[in-house]
Amino acid sequence: MAHHAVKKGLDIPIAGRASGEPIQLDPPGTVAWNPTEFRGIVPKLAAREGDEVQVGSPLFFDKANPSIVFRSPVAGKVVEVRRGRRRVITDLVVERTGDEQVELQSFAPDELKGMSAEAASEAILQSGWWGALRTRPLNHVARPEQAPQSILISAFETGPAQPGAAELMTAEDAEALQAAVHVLGALTSGAVYLAAGGDHPALSGLSGVERHDFSGPHPAGDPTVQINLVDPPRGTNRVWYMRAWDAVALGHTLLSGRFHAERVYAAVGAGVKTPRLVRTVLGAPMKHIVGDTQGTEQRWIRGSVLTGEAVDANRWAPFYARAIHVLPAEVPRSFLGWALPMLGSWSFHRAFLSGFTRPSRAVDMRPGLYGGERAMVPTGVYGKVVATPDILPEFLFKSVIAGDLEESIQLGLLDMSEEEAALCSYICPSKIEFDVILRDGLEIYEREA
Amino acid sequence: MIRQVEALFDGVRHHFEAGGKLELAWPLFEGAETFLLTPGQRTRHGAHVRDRMDMKRLMIFVVYALVPCILMGWWNVGHQAYLAEGIAATVPEEILRGGVAMLPIIITSYVVGGAAELVFCVVRKHEINEGFLVTAMLFPLTLPPTIPLWMVGAGIVFGVVIGKEVFGGVGMNILNPALTARAFVFFTYPAQISGAKVWDGGGKDWFAGPLVDGYTGATPLLAATGAERGAGSAVAALNEAGWSFQSLAIGAVPGSMGEVSAIGALLGGIFLVVVGIASWRIMLACVIGVVAMSGLMNGLAGPESMAMMHLPPHYHLVMGGFAFGAVFMATDPCSSAVTPTGRWIYGFCIGALCVLVRVVNPAYPEGMMLAILFMNVFAPLIDYFVVKRTTRRRIARLAAA
Repeated sequence: MAHHAVKKGLDIPIAGRASGEPIQLDPPGTVAWNPTEFRGIVPKLAAREGDEVQVGSPLFFDKANPSIVFRSPVAGKVVEVRRGRRRVITDLVVERTGDEQVELQSFAPDELKGMSAEAASEAILQSGWWGALRTRPLNHVARPEQAPQSILISAFETGPAQPGAAELMTAEDAEALQAAVHVLGALTSGAVYLAAGGDHPALSGLSGVERHDFSGPHPAGDPTVQINLVDPPRGTNRVWYMRAWDAVALGHTLLSGRFHAERVYAAVGAGVKTPRLVRTVLGAPMKHIVGDTQGTEQRWIRGSVLTGEAVDANRWAPFYARAIHVLPAEVPRSFLGWALPMLGSWSFHRAFLSGFTRPSRAVDMRPGLYGGERAMVPTGVYGKVVATPDILPEFLFKSVIAGDLEESIQLGLLDMSEEEAALCSYICPSKIEFDVILRDGLEIYEREA
Repeated sequence: MIRQVEALFDGVRHHFEAGGKLELAWPLFEGAETFLLTPGQRTRHGAHVRDRMDMKRLMIFVVYALVPCILMGWWNVGHQAYLAEGIAATVPEEILRGGVAMLPIIITSYVVGGAAELVFCVVRKHEINEGFLVTAMLFPLTLPPTIPLWMVGAGIVFGVVIGKEVFGGVGMNILNPALTARAFVFFTYPAQISGAKVWDGGGKDWFAGPLVDGYTGATPLLAATGAERGAGSAVAALNEAGWSFQSLAIGAVPGSMGEVSAIGALLGGIFLVVVGIASWRIMLACVIGVVAMSGLMNGLAGPESMAMMHLPPHYHLVMGGFAFGAVFMATDPCSSAVTPTGRWIYGFCIGALCVLVRVVNPAYPEGMMLAILFMNVFAPLIDYFVVKRTTRRRIARLAAA
């Protein structure tokens, strides 16, 4: 067991973390998949508007690889296929009317041990959970025909107000996780790593994994950073990763032969009246998860305030992220803010008295820029939140801005995590959006490669 | 209060926005608004929440850090003037006289430089860069109090335009704008900026009364350079002129207005490091560079060597513009090396070059400005090699089987 103490990074002390036992919610009226979440997938509909579906019926699949299917979390009728720009499917809405289940292939725990690679990928593909398996670099959905250098299962989350293993997994999930580990292990000739942030009953007796413990501030809980520290992809290799809580769902599906759509979501942020954990189904409406809100104007974010996507409140919960962050949107202005000590407001920087200490309580943050956009003034501050070794953020970002793809790859464009870039944006005194710059660079790379 | 101010700005905003009557004055409006109120804009792309730190705060903290140097310089200007005239004066009198000499120079720097800055903001349609607040304060502090005001104006315009704006503004500049301004004045009007003449008033009416007998107006560096060959003569010359190590460190000596006090610079430097704005690596490396190079010079010096060869390292640290330059000029993040390793090299070279110019170049008694500008030019090259090395290490790690 190796231990990685991440020194660089920042835990943003944002208010509205959810805790306690998940509340069991009544089943929602509708659920939806958002196929745009799955990078590298071109969705083709398997069910049309008006079609009757059961729990586990295929809803859509990948055009290039039809065996990558995404299954319905509820039984009912496909009521709407919403499309965005260029007719991209943004919401595939299913109305729930019943609980009929499609019977999928089920496996005994022993069957999953020592499977061949083909049988293992077959099993995961038919389970409907292949989409949870992503690649480094690029975070695309894994390609079944490729063989990864290794696979990392991440059970540690450090994103601001994001739920982690403690909230999303219980001791009863140990068996399902073990099943997933066995079947994932068959996909690679390399190791299966478990990135953990501490002890958890579901993780303690796990066999077939090489355990790596992580500690430290965000992005220590980011799978990209974990991979960079444990076993970065070499040459043109790929490393695959999956969140442990998704692996649990995969395990349950494989063991029971029923699509495991039940999951825990967290409603977080100062805009939620009572931040809470809820047990509901995959793709439930955000309003169903969040419950009562407060404040007059809010920003609804799928995922975290760093890398989440702001969407209309009437949409549905995401697949990868397990939190809905409701951020109060009003930005109060303060008088002569640049000169005052501003004791009340927390900052990463020591130019605020509060920058010397961790805040005693969570901070009600707002989506304000709090400054004008300026050119980058390289005070060396960005390096303090980048945990991936040997990355010089100032130079990497400048090479991306300059459009020098070759240089940016040399400097680590493919290694840096989006969480790290978003942390750079968060702390930047010049208010530069480094996460947008990184995404642009990766887009250019994908277009040209 | 906030609401009233907000309403005031919102009421006239449309005049300044694109298509409004006062469209050209947008940078002024924007500057005034964000000076009074923190911006209320919301994030639209990227991370949804942001830290409250902004460039205004960063730059104003550098000005705060300059306060000890400004205050020491302020008093010292008056103090030196009365000393030159041989008049015993009280501290309030000295401060009054210092203010009379110093304030017009600072105001000129801000007004004239600010106008140049504003012209660029209007033409290039960008917001006012707060970096100017620092530049326009640093520049006058590197000048003698007898400098004619029109030279201050010409210098700051050169610094703002050639040192900064032609590259695209703060963050894009290669050289430190304040030092670029000083270098311009230094090479264009050498008689007015350095040498003994500056401090005996050079015939300017700043010294109202006649000078005291035997007053040479030499700065400590000039006095030490001019000392006879041989060990210990530089220190002896300083002591003879009435300057001990202590008075040099405090800054009660003739010199440019803000740079005389090494203790003032030290206080400012500690402040900047504590608030995390300036690089402690650069400051420390500058000191190491001075100690190493002057130590080497001491070692090489024979009995017949020039006096400066024998000057001990701790004197170098408190004399001339070294401390001020190391704390405020060398650490300018835009023109210094960016990589941590690069900063060590960059700072060390500044310290070493400063001593080299002081000791072996008879034309210039002080070498700090030239050392910093020289290393500003080389900073990208230093970074280039550090980046190359880091990249090689990264790639080697990723290629290893």
